[in-house]
Amino acid sequence: MRWITLTILLLPLLSFLLLIGGRKWRSRGLVAGIGVLTSYGAFHLSSYLLMNMIQKKTQVVISMPWLTLSDQVVHLGIKIGALQAVMLVLVSLVSCLVQIYSWGYMRDDERFPVFFAYLGLFTFSMLGLVSSANLLQIYIFWELVGLCSFLLIGYWYYKPEARDAAKKAFIVTRIGDVGFFIAILMIFWKIGSFELDAVSKAVSTGTISGVWVTWIAILILIGAIGKSGQFPLHTWLPDAMEGPTPVSALIHAATMVTAGIYLVAATFPVFLASSYALDIVSYIGGFTAIFAACIALVQTDIKRVLAYSTVSQLGYMMLALGSKGYVEGIFHLVTHGFFKALLFLAAGAVIVSLHHEQDLRKMGGLWKKNRGLAIWFLIGCFALVGLPPFSGFFSKDEILQTVYMDGRIGLFVLALITVFLTAFYVFRLYHLIFAGTSRTEQKNTPVPKVMMVPIAILGLLSTLAGFVQFPKAYFSSFLLQGSKLASLTSEAAPAWIGWVAVLFSLFGVGLATLLYWRGYQPAKPRVGLIGWAHRILEQKFYIDQLYHYVFALPLKGLGYFLIGWDRFVVGGLVRLVGLVPVGLSRIASMLQNGQTQTYALVSLIGFILLVIGVTVGRFFS
Amino acid sequence: MKTWMNWLPTIIIFAPLLGLFILLFTPKKKQNLIRVIGIVATLPSLALLLYLFQHFDLGQKDWQWVQNIPWFQFTFAGERGWAFFYHLGVDGISMPLLFMTALISTLTAIASVKIQSRIREYYMLLLLMETSMLGVFFSLNLFLFFIFFEVILVAMYFLIGIWGQIQKERAANLFLLYNGLGSGFLLFAMVLLLMMCNTLEFPDISKMIPLAAKAEPTFTWVIFWSLLIAFAIKLPIFPFHTWMLRVHVQAAPSVVMIHAGILLKIGAYGLLRFHVGWFPEQMKQVSILLITFGLINLFYGAILAFVQKELRQVLAYSSISHMGILLVGIASMQLIGLQGALFQAISHGFIAALFFFLVAILYERTNTTELNELGGLTKSMPYFAGFLLFTGLASLGLPGLSGFISEFLSFLGLFRQHVILGSIASLGLIFAAVYILRAMMKINYGPTPKRFDQLSDLRWTESLPIAVFVAVIIGIGIAPDLIGKSMQMTLQMMLERIGG
Repeated sequence: MRWITLTILLLPLLSFLLLIGGRKWRSRGLVAGIGVLTSYGAFHLSSYLLMNMIQKKTQVVISMPWLTLSDQVVHLGIKIGALQAVMLVLVSLVSCLVQIYSWGYMRDDERFPVFFAYLGLFTFSMLGLVSSANLLQIYIFWELVGLCSFLLIGYWYYKPEARDAAKKAFIVTRIGDVGFFIAILMIFWKIGSFELDAVSKAVSTGTISGVWVTWIAILILIGAIGKSGQFPLHTWLPDAMEGPTPVSALIHAATMVTAGIYLVAATFPVFLASSYALDIVSYIGGFTAIFAACIALVQTDIKRVLAYSTVSQLGYMMLALGSKGYVEGIFHLVTHGFFKALLFLAAGAVIVSLHHEQDLRKMGGLWKKNRGLAIWFLIGCFALVGLPPFSGFFSKDEILQTVYMDGRIGLFVLALITVFLTAFYVFRLYHLIFAGTSRTEQKNTPVPKVMMVPIAILGLLSTLAGFVQFPKAYFSSFLLQGSKLASLTSEAAPAWIGWVAVLFSLFGVGLATLLYWRGYQPAKPRVGLIGWAHRILEQKFYIDQLYHYVFALPLKGLGYFLIGWDRFVVGGLVRLVGLVPVGLSRIASMLQNGQTQTYALVSLIGFILLVIGVTVGRFFS
Repeated sequence: MKTWMNWLPTIIIFAPLLGLFILLFTPKKKQNLIRVIGIVATLPSLALLLYLFQHFDLGQKDWQWVQNIPWFQFTFAGERGWAFFYHLGVDGISMPLLFMTALISTLTAIASVKIQSRIREYYMLLLLMETSMLGVFFSLNLFLFFIFFEVILVAMYFLIGIWGQIQKERAANLFLLYNGLGSGFLLFAMVLLLMMCNTLEFPDISKMIPLAAKAEPTFTWVIFWSLLIAFAIKLPIFPFHTWMLRVHVQAAPSVVMIHAGILLKIGAYGLLRFHVGWFPEQMKQVSILLITFGLINLFYGAILAFVQKELRQVLAYSSISHMGILLVGIASMQLIGLQGALFQAISHGFIAALFFFLVAILYERTNTTELNELGGLTKSMPYFAGFLLFTGLASLGLPGLSGFISEFLSFLGLFRQHVILGSIASLGLIFAAVYILRAMMKINYGPTPKRFDQLSDLRWTESLPIAVFVAVIIGIGIAPDLIGKSMQMTLQMMLERIGG
């Protein structure tokens, strides 16, 4: 089992090393083949591992010493429990599908091997992240997935927008990372270890308690907020859509952005020990869910709508975790991974068939031109909206139940309203793309077959994945095997919640259809309250502008002030000191008369003679 | 141990001088021969140091590879006298620094083939530099240390003043002014120590200071502070940093490789060897003050690096910021922090040297290092751009590369000493990302200006040294114990003296 686990990690790394070495390779088949086969290998072995764990209920543990720190030795380690096994399968599967898709999507790209190399590095780092046994190692891979995200957002380096988005993504997530970093320092300071097991043990035995647990939980949460695009560090995720669409599907929808959720889940005992921390997690999640859904209502870029939708859905997962819904959060993470990857890949197909047009206002009428794509896209929409029997229905329903049972009724109401908003923006999106008639003159390009295969597979998964929890909760019992978290599962929630949620979504779907089924209507000048609200939403609540004026500009101003300070105040000090040895200027003149080497030699020889003289003098004394 | 083994440190130190003498008799015209001799002359020391490193006894607390010969002495009336020794040896602090010095010296010699004027003199000075830098780290006698320290000063003065940019003379003078001042303080401290302890032998001084401190507290503090100023200038600690900005910008890039890579580390070495080693009690008392100065360095450097318009200025301020991290590591007076500081010395040594290796290439191709004139180099020089980004990432502390280990350990040490200051220092990670990415992306990303469309990418003579740098940076990043274990024993022993 240990070798299998190591192979899972090393296969994508191998792909990265091969392809970054072979960045000049011309054969696209070879390049894509290496990428797809290695990630498929990782997927195959991960599924084997998962199956094995389901049957035998074992864990895989590997550990080796890495760094000696005064009296402790820090280990690198792998520990695969139920949660980790599920994540391994999800990550390697989506990675494999996205690489198949990229074969078609990126076919005209000049740096084709580099793209696959980056995807390999990402897959390696993400698999490493979810199999790490200690927090320091999680942090290491956490930064590496961030790096890959940065590299891939900025993949089209010549576009200034891509450059700025990449930089923003790195810096904004790094703000969160520092929170996580401090949490790690604090944990080591308190318990002298980075191991996840040691952390949960320390919490349960009360070694860390009271205010420190809350601090640690909040700091970890800050890291999770950065990575998972939660308010107030969400601003990078929509901009990240400047990267190629396969990247958006893999990194910015299905896997990397869920790392924050994973982190909270992996350190769940710390959160359970602090009710303050749970409160904060819930409120941030619930607020982000409705906040991002509102912005998604008016966006006009196909990928940005999906990006805000991702932010909103990640908010749901946070909300679930904050309401002690460990399984529910993870369950939604998995189903969301499938249907959001599907939606992004299908959106990519739409973009390709429309000559890289991403503006919803210029789309329309695709239902008639590409029926297959329209149906897969529709499946993704149903799953995201949460209509039965698609997977999103089951996972979202469970989240609503958990929130209700946990007793924060205000958040429950917000979550229900978000269900309606989600349904509305999703079907607005759908109708703008597929309904009515085409709003451009250009003819559609056919979508390469190789891109449709992953879409179909994800479509099937989005449809069926819900049945791991229905009619019997197989998924819960697997995730909770041998875990103390089992006791958390509450008694059954009232059945009406599911029905009401479906009603809300149908209402949203209906309203969107009513407004948009004929396609896009050129906007009437909006006035009054509606116009005002519309403008605020279009400007994403002015958060970017706010950060610009509150953080970026003052920093720059301080910088320019310090330039003057450094030059005139600190530099002035120099001139004062410089007045003392006036003779120095004479030495300086030597440099200018071209005879320097002579002087250098003379002074050196003199110096050496002096030292030799003293040395030899010893023999005569 | 065989007798020639005793001479190994001496051979390592003076091997480059052999090259210097050969160069003396090499005709000036044979430029390529001079370059080859200059490069080859750095190799014996590197090879022998590798051997030394391999046979370094990790468990040993005492000095290793010691050579101690009486040198000269002054006898006074009566029985008192001052004896000076030619005393060399290595321990866990100097071992990794020595290895770094030798490796960077070789790589600098390779990078120096871009120097076009007065090649013979250049290589002679470079080899003299290497000898004296190795001597500084090998010395176990303060007088010997001081001599090597001074030779560095002289050699560096000419290296900056002759082969630099337009304002090279000013930079050289400023360098001399500040470092001369530092030497003055060092000399002052040395004389006082001689008066107090009657010896300049490192092992003896470290034993005598705690006793002397009880008898003469004021006297000890005077020595402590003058040593601190001497090395604060070298490191440099705010507000003594002005000279190194000029040097970074005005000196030839290959000279800066030595300067930023190794010379600044002599400041770190001095703090570790003298302040932590001899004055641990006093260090404990000024710990918070030094941490504060470290934080000032860290943020002052970072914010200024963020607004610079020229790449070498960015790197200069970035060095200030990184030396701030080193300083907080030392000032924490925790074993982990000291380990982090030493890691930072080595890691920053390689990263800074690699940066200036790349700057040399960049300047040769584009004739500019102004950030606003550069852009889109990923297109015309993909390998160069890749390595530049790599170096930037190493510098901002990406895990898996050497910078992460050193920053992590320094902050961990600081955190154990002072939770709030430790948390504040961690914010430096954000600032580092901000200024490094800004500079790197201005060079690599965005549209490519027309005149940079046809630049030639790296030649193999350039990629090979880069590959060595990259290997070392990744190597330390993923297997830190390679060099971490050697420092453990020595640092631990130093801290055990506190309160003992």
